[in-house]
Amino acid sequence: MRVIDLTLKDLRQLVRDWKTAFFMVAMPIVFTLFFGLIFGGQGGETDPRLPVAFLNNDCSSSLSASLLSLLEASSSIRPVVLDEGSAQTASELVRDGERAAALIVPVGFGQAAERLASGEAIVDGQPMKATVIVDQHQASGQTAVQAIETAVTRLLSAAQIARISTEAFEASTSFEDQAARQAYQDQALALASEAWREPPLFVTVEKAVVESELQESPANAYVQSSPGMIIQFTIHGLMMSGMIMVLERKTGTLRRLLTTPMTRAQIIAGKTLSTLVPVLVQETLLVAVGQFVFGVDYLREPVAVVLVMVALALWVCSLGLLIAAFAKIEDQVHTWSLVAMFVFSALGGAWFPLEITGKTFAAIGHLTPTAWAMDGFQNIVLRGQGLTSVLLPVSILLAYAVVFFALAVWRFRFE
Amino acid sequence: MEQRKAVKVHDLYKDFGDVHAVQGVSFDVHAGEIFGLLGPNGAGKTTILSMLSCLLEPTQGDALVMGHSILSDPMAVKEAIGVVPQDIALYPDLSARENLIFWGKMHGMRGPALRQRVDEVLQITGLTDRQKGRVNKFSGGMRRRLNVGVALLHKPQVIFMDEPTVGIDPQSRRNILDSVKDLNEQGMTVLYTTHYMEEAQELSDHIAIMDEGKLIAYGTHDELVQIVGEQDRIDVSINAESERVIKQWQETEGVHKVSADDGTLTLLVDDSNIVLPRLFESATQAGVRITSVEIQEPNLEAVFLHLTGRALRD
Amino acid sequence: MTVHLRKAIDIALKDLIRSFRNVFGLVMMFLVPILLTAMMYFAFGTLFRGDGGFDVPLTRVQVANLDVPSPQLGGFSAGQILLEFLQDESLSNLLQLSEAPDEASARGAVKNQTADVAIIVPSNFTAAVLEPEGTARVTLVQDPTLTLGPSIVKGLVSQLADTFSGAKIAAGTVARQFGQRGVPVKPQMFQDIATEYATWAAEVGQARADGMHPALDVQAPLSKAEPRSWGAEVAGLVMVGMMIFFAFFTGANTAGTIISEQENGTLARLFTTPTTHTAILGGKFTGVFVTVLVQVLVLTLLTTAIFGVHWGMPLTVSLAVLALVIVVSGFGVFIISFIKTTRQQGSVLGSVLTLAGMAGGLFTTSLSTPPRAFEIIQLLTPHGWALRAWKLALAGASAGEVALPVVVLLGMGAVFFAIGALRFRKRFA
Repeated sequence: MRVIDLTLKDLRQLVRDWKTAFFMVAMPIVFTLFFGLIFGGQGGETDPRLPVAFLNNDCSSSLSASLLSLLEASSSIRPVVLDEGSAQTASELVRDGERAAALIVPVGFGQAAERLASGEAIVDGQPMKATVIVDQHQASGQTAVQAIETAVTRLLSAAQIARISTEAFEASTSFEDQAARQAYQDQALALASEAWREPPLFVTVEKAVVESELQESPANAYVQSSPGMIIQFTIHGLMMSGMIMVLERKTGTLRRLLTTPMTRAQIIAGKTLSTLVPVLVQETLLVAVGQFVFGVDYLREPVAVVLVMVALALWVCSLGLLIAAFAKIEDQVHTWSLVAMFVFSALGGAWFPLEITGKTFAAIGHLTPTAWAMDGFQNIVLRGQGLTSVLLPVSILLAYAVVFFALAVWRFRFE
Repeated sequence: MEQRKAVKVHDLYKDFGDVHAVQGVSFDVHAGEIFGLLGPNGAGKTTILSMLSCLLEPTQGDALVMGHSILSDPMAVKEAIGVVPQDIALYPDLSARENLIFWGKMHGMRGPALRQRVDEVLQITGLTDRQKGRVNKFSGGMRRRLNVGVALLHKPQVIFMDEPTVGIDPQSRRNILDSVKDLNEQGMTVLYTTHYMEEAQELSDHIAIMDEGKLIAYGTHDELVQIVGEQDRIDVSINAESERVIKQWQETEGVHKVSADDGTLTLLVDDSNIVLPRLFESATQAGVRITSVEIQEPNLEAVFLHLTGRALRD
Repeated sequence: MTVHLRKAIDIALKDLIRSFRNVFGLVMMFLVPILLTAMMYFAFGTLFRGDGGFDVPLTRVQVANLDVPSPQLGGFSAGQILLEFLQDESLSNLLQLSEAPDEASARGAVKNQTADVAIIVPSNFTAAVLEPEGTARVTLVQDPTLTLGPSIVKGLVSQLADTFSGAKIAAGTVARQFGQRGVPVKPQMFQDIATEYATWAAEVGQARADGMHPALDVQAPLSKAEPRSWGAEVAGLVMVGMMIFFAFFTGANTAGTIISEQENGTLARLFTTPTTHTAILGGKFTGVFVTVLVQVLVLTLLTTAIFGVHWGMPLTVSLAVLALVIVVSGFGVFIISFIKTTRQQGSVLGSVLTLAGMAGGLFTTSLSTPPRAFEIIQLLTPHGWALRAWKLALAGASAGEVALPVVVLLGMGAVFFAIGALRFRKRFA
C-alpha cells in the first residue's frame, strides 16, 4: 500500500509541474500528427510514382517517342518531360532530390538502337547509349533505374521484334522496294511497342498485410511508420524516469524514505510505478491517435497491443532506472538517456528498416528489445496476426526488463 | 566634527505586489564602523541589502553609498562596495584561484595587480595551499571563506555581509566574526545583517533593529538596552504546555511582557527577585512544574521582546 | 566601452572553460555524434560492395508453382523454367529458395514469417505463353516490412516474364503483319522466332546482370565534390544530421547556464559588480557562440580524419559553419529565455529540440523525395535550412549556390537572438 502512496505522491508532483505535464501530453499528439502529415500525404498524392526527368534530344526518331510511351506505362515511375535544358540541369534535379532519376536520350539514339537490333556494326566504335543519371545509393534511385532499364529493354525488344518480323517476311516473300521494307519495319516497331504497354505475362506485388475495414489503404506508409514512432517516442520516456530518481536522490528525500519502514525494493517499486504510468499514458495517446485519426487498426487485437505496450513500457522504465542507478546528476541522465534513445532506435529498426543495413548490423539489431517491440506491433497492424504472435516479443521484452531491473536494484545508491 | 557617512538610507520602501517588504526605513552608517542590522527572518534585512547593492530597485526612497545614489549612479556604488551573499555564490567547477581572478576582473582589476591581490586574499582566507583545488571539492567552511574573499578583492570601502554565519559550525563562525573585526580595523565599513543577537552585540558599533519591514529601534547597544530600562529578562522552562500558565503570568504584577517558544517562556519583569516567587506560585496553582530559570541582564533580545512582544528567535 | 567589452570577453572565456571541463558536456558535444555516425557508417557503409552490387541479407523465397505443363510440347513448363532460373547458382547469395505445395501454404509462409516473399505461378502460365491471346499473372506476396529483397525478386521474375512476353509479342507481331499481307505463316516459324528472340533476350539479360546494359549508360549525378567512398558519403550525410542536432543541443544548454547561474547565486553576484547588464548578457551569449563554433569545427575535422568525409569547397563550408553557429546560438538564447528553472530546462529542451529536429528533417534524411507538405514544414525550422545548406556543401556547391540558406539562417539567428536578448533584459532589468 505504501508503494502506491509513493507512486501517487510522485504523480501528483508531476502533474503540478504543468509545463512538464503539458509536454508529456502534447508531445505524443504533435509527434504522430506530424509524421502522419508527412507519410499520409504520400497516399493522397495524385500520382505516387517516382518522378523521372526525361530529356529527348532525338525527337525525329519514332523509337525515342515509343520510349516515352513505355515509360508512361510503368507502375513505379512517371516521366516528367524536360522541354529544354542540358544534362547538367537534369543532373542537378537528381542531385537536389527533385527527381528520382533522369533519362537523357542523345541524338541518333533511335538509329543506333535499330542498328543494335539488326546486329550491324556499331557507329564510331561506341554504341549510342542513353544516359541515366541516378543516385543508386538511394532506394528511390534503385527503383527508378530498374524501371528505366525495363522500359529501355522493352524498347530494344520492340526494335528486335521489328527486325525479326521484317527478316521473316523477307525470307517468305520479298518487298517491292526499300520504302515498303521500311514501312513494314516501322509498322512492326509500332505494333510491338504498343503490345509492350500491356505485356501478356506480368508480375503483380501484394503486401501480406492485415485485412481490415478500418484501414482503407492497408499498405499506406503511415501504417508502416507507426510502430517505429511509438517505440521511438516511448524510449524518450527514459529521460523522465531517470530524472525522477536522480532528483529525489539529490534532494535527500530518497534517503529519508529509507528511514521509514519501507524496504529498498518497495521504494524502487513505488518509483518505478510512478514512471511507468506516464510512459503508458503517452503510449496510449500515441496508439489512440494512430487508431482514430490515421486508421491504423491497433484495436483489432486489443489484448495483444496492450501486452506489447506494457512490456515495452516496463523495459523502458527498467532502463531508466538503470541509468539513474549510475547517474549522479541530471546532466548525466540526459546524456545517457539520449545515447540509449538513439542507439536503441537505430539498432531496433525504428528509424530505418534493418533489412537495408547489411547482414551484420541487421543481426546485431535483432538482438535489441526495440527490434522485438517492432516485431510485436508490426505483427498486429501490418501482418494481421493474433495474440500468439506477440507472445515471443513480449516475453523477450519482459526478460530484458527483469535483467535491467535486477542490475539497477543491485547497483542503486540511495544517496 | 561630524563623522562622514558611508551609507545614508533615506525612507526606503520596497513592495512585492501586496507584500510590503520594507516600509520607510532610514538610517546612517558612519564610515569606518560596523553596523548591525538585526531582526528575525522575514524582517526585510536582505531586501534592504539587495537595494543597497543595486540588485533591486526601491519602490520609493533612495540611499547614498559613499556619496553615490543607488538610483542614479549604481555603477559608482558597485565600484565602492563588496558583497558577501548569504548563500555561497562561487563557480563550483573552477578552482579557488580561478574564481578569484574572474571576480577580480569583474571588478575591473587586471594583470600583475590582480594576481598580487589574489595571492593576498588567498593568504587572508587561508586558502593558499588549496588555490588550485576546485570549489566543489572544498568543505563548507572553506567555501565560506572564499565567498568572503571574493568580496575583498578590490579593497572596497564598504562591505555588505548578509547573515554570513547562518548554518555553520561554531569554529567557522568564530573565524568569520574575527575576520569582520580585522576588516574593520583595516578601515573598512561593514554593514552586517544577522538574526543572532550575540553577533550584533559583539560586533556592532551601531545597531538597527528591524521587524516586519520597519525599523523599530536604532542606536548603540547601550542606548538600545536603555529602552527596556532596568527590566530583567527571565527565561523559564516548564514541563507542560505554555498555554497553561501564560495568561496567569501575563496578569501577574511586575510582569511586562511574556512570550512563549516550545516550552520556554521569556518574560520581562521589574525585579526578578520579587516576581519570581509569584511565578512559582501561579505555576503550582496551575499544576505546572518549572524545570529551569535563567535570569539575564537586559539585552537586545529583551529590547526586541519589549518592542514587538515576540522573541527574536521566533 | 572597452572596459565592458573586456569584461564580456572574460565572462565568455569563463563559460568556455566551464563547458569544456564538463565531462558529460564533452560527451554530448563530440563523443555521441561521432559514435552515432560510426554506427551508421557501419550500418550502411558496408552495404555496397565495390562493384556496385548489394550485400543484403538473403531473401527467403517460397515458390508455389501451380503451372500446368504442356502435354503437346513434351511437358514444357514455363513455370519450371522460372523455378530453375531462380535456383541458379549465381543467385544463391541473394535468394534462399524453397517450394511450397500450394498457394495457401506459400502465403502462409510469408504471414508467419518463415518466408520473405512468396511467388505464386498461376496454373495457366505455360498456356499463356503458348496461346496467342493468352495472358497470365505471376503474383508476388511479400512481407510488408521489407523493401530491398522483394524488389530484387520482382526484378528477376519480371525479367523472365518479359522474355516470355517478348517471344509472344514477336510471334503475335509476325502473325498480324503476315496476316494483313496475306502471307501464310509456316508452322516452324513461330518456334524459330521464339528461339531467336529468347537467345537475344538472354544476351541482353546477361549484359544487364554484368552491369553493362547495351543501350544505357548509368551515371551518378554531377557533383563538384571530390569522388569519395560510399562509406564517406554515408558518414557525411549522417554527421550533418547529428552535427546540427547536437549543435542545437549544445547551444541551448550553454545558454541555459544563465538559469543555473541564477539558481546558484553567481548571476546576482555578477550584477553587484560594476559590470553592465549588456556586458554580462553579451558575455554569456558570446560564450554560447564560441562553444558551438568549437564543436562544429572539431566535428567536421574529426569526421574528415576518421571517415574520410570531404565537406566541400572551403568558402562554402565556412559559410555553412558560420550560418549554423549563428542560428544555433540565437535559437539557444531564444529558447532559454522562456525557461525559469533548470528542472524545466531538462524536460522542455529535450522535447523541443527533438521535435524541431524531426520537423527539420534531421531524422528522415533517408527520404530522398519527401512529400511536399514535409518540405514546407522543414522550411519553417532553422534545422531544415541548416540541413539544406550543409547538404549543398557536401554536394560541392559553390558559395553562391549556398547563399540563400545561409542568408536565411543568419536572419533567423538574428531574430531569435533579438527576441531572446530582449526577454532577458526585461527579466534582469
